[in-house]
Amino acid sequence: MKTVLSIKGLTKDYGRLRAVNQLNLEVQQGQVFGMLGPNGSGKTTTLGMLMGVTNPTAGEFTWFGEPPTHTLRKKIGAVLEHPIFYPYLSGQKNLELNAMVKECPADNIPKVLDLVELSGRKDDKYKTYSLGMKQRLAIASALLNEPTVLILDEPTNGLDPMGIAEIRELTKKIAASGKTIILASHLLDEVQKVCTHFAVLKKGNLIHSGPVDDVGRGAETVEVQADVANLSELLMDFSGTASINRENGYFQVTLRDEFHGKDLNRFLFDKGVVASHLVTKKKSLEKMFLEILSEH
Amino acid sequence: MLLHLLKIDLKKLTSYRTFWVVCGLYFITIGFSTASGMEFLKWLASIIEGFGQKINIDRIPLYHFPDVWLNLVWWSGFFKVLLGIMTVISITNEYTYRTLRQNVIDGLSRWEFLLTKILTNFLLSLLSVVLIFLIALVTGFIYSPEINWNYVFTDLEFYPAYLLEVFSYLSYALMLGILVQRSGLTIILLLLSYLLEFIIKTNIDDYMPWIIPFFPMESISALIKMPLYRYAFQEIQDYVDPLSVAVAFAWMVAFNYFSYLKLKRSDL
Repeated sequence: MKTVLSIKGLTKDYGRLRAVNQLNLEVQQGQVFGMLGPNGSGKTTTLGMLMGVTNPTAGEFTWFGEPPTHTLRKKIGAVLEHPIFYPYLSGQKNLELNAMVKECPADNIPKVLDLVELSGRKDDKYKTYSLGMKQRLAIASALLNEPTVLILDEPTNGLDPMGIAEIRELTKKIAASGKTIILASHLLDEVQKVCTHFAVLKKGNLIHSGPVDDVGRGAETVEVQADVANLSELLMDFSGTASINRENGYFQVTLRDEFHGKDLNRFLFDKGVVASHLVTKKKSLEKMFLEILSEH
Repeated sequence: MLLHLLKIDLKKLTSYRTFWVVCGLYFITIGFSTASGMEFLKWLASIIEGFGQKINIDRIPLYHFPDVWLNLVWWSGFFKVLLGIMTVISITNEYTYRTLRQNVIDGLSRWEFLLTKILTNFLLSLLSVVLIFLIALVTGFIYSPEINWNYVFTDLEFYPAYLLEVFSYLSYALMLGILVQRSGLTIILLLLSYLLEFIIKTNIDDYMPWIIPFFPMESISALIKMPLYRYAFQEIQDYVDPLSVAVAFAWMVAFNYFSYLKLKRSDL
């Protein structure tokens, strides 16, 4: 696998405030890389440095193994924070201008406009667009040069649920085409749904990075209910039980490693108890995120 | 490559209505005002006639070769402030819309971005020179009592000087825009520049008069001196002062270099 982005010791100070502290990170080709963190944790500052608009205080990074230059940036599609366009130009003209800046053929414009479903409004001025349309135009512009790497910073910020779903589908579609995506977001659900890897930033420090699949691993929690009086004692007798909680009228059984929901089910059945409710719960990214944040 | 960069900026401007309004105003104003000098003289003569005096306006060589060259560039020099305002609007828009940031993200280097603006400044200066040259040529042929080809090609060095005058001024406007970033404030500063410099100049005139030609606005306006003295006092400066050329050129380079330094160092 090829390394697309490699960051070493990247640091940014704003006066006395350290926005990004000694960041080390690698993104491999084909990953959909989620950058998580509360507001003000340094996500946008980091992306700004990667895209040449924020001057790093210290540290370095390489794109595709090469030191960053403005020519390399032409191969990356990026939307940072909110969409930025000339309000008095139409969507079409804004994209034509982008094509000139990126030195890529303008032939792609109809295709990307179709992809984000803006073809019908392409000749209207940008300032007449709704927020969702602006976000979609930004994604269209990022895709214009057929980049191998796409950077999206809070692409669903301020959108209504339908808009969020649209952008999410679009991101999935783009990811499926084999592009590397770096997605900064504080919407954990979104990251879990589309990302393969993720990193967590807090106050400029990298406090976790790894595959999203790892999130579900580790201890399982099983939610159980059955119409017997001594269910609590029965569950305590199960050798795989680590702890039991009562929540919303259900027993939440946290299992030891190596034990799974079906083991508990079999155990109860052997005891002559039939569960009326039994759900194996995977740990959500949200839960893990909060755990990581509270550990640091 | 330079042409490509120029095209990028023109693409932004040619769909911008304010650009057409300001540039239209500029070119129409200098076009009409320079072409209608004889009408002005006639009006002046009629006023004076009202006081019982008579002047023969044909004896005032406003449009005679070679006087016409200097007269028209000097007069047009006043209107460069309109182009300066356009430059300010063009650069401060990039800050208010944050499009400067997006341009850099999309792959322009900061220097290339600045070049797009500098090239537009140069194009506007050049257009302005060409327009005045054509008007001077036409009016010169109409009003000169006799065409002496020696005179027609005399004093043409005022045109490169005028190009430098307008381009230096626009470079100054661009630098102000990059330093201040807000259009209203920048335009006010641009308009006040002459006044502020004038106040400083009068204050140090008694101590260090030799330093005055080195002031930026002074050196820019000294490129082309007021020609009317020649009629009033028979005192003629029919050449471009090499010192003011050197000083104005140095300022022009400095303005653009400061713009570059500021752009390079700031977080966009």
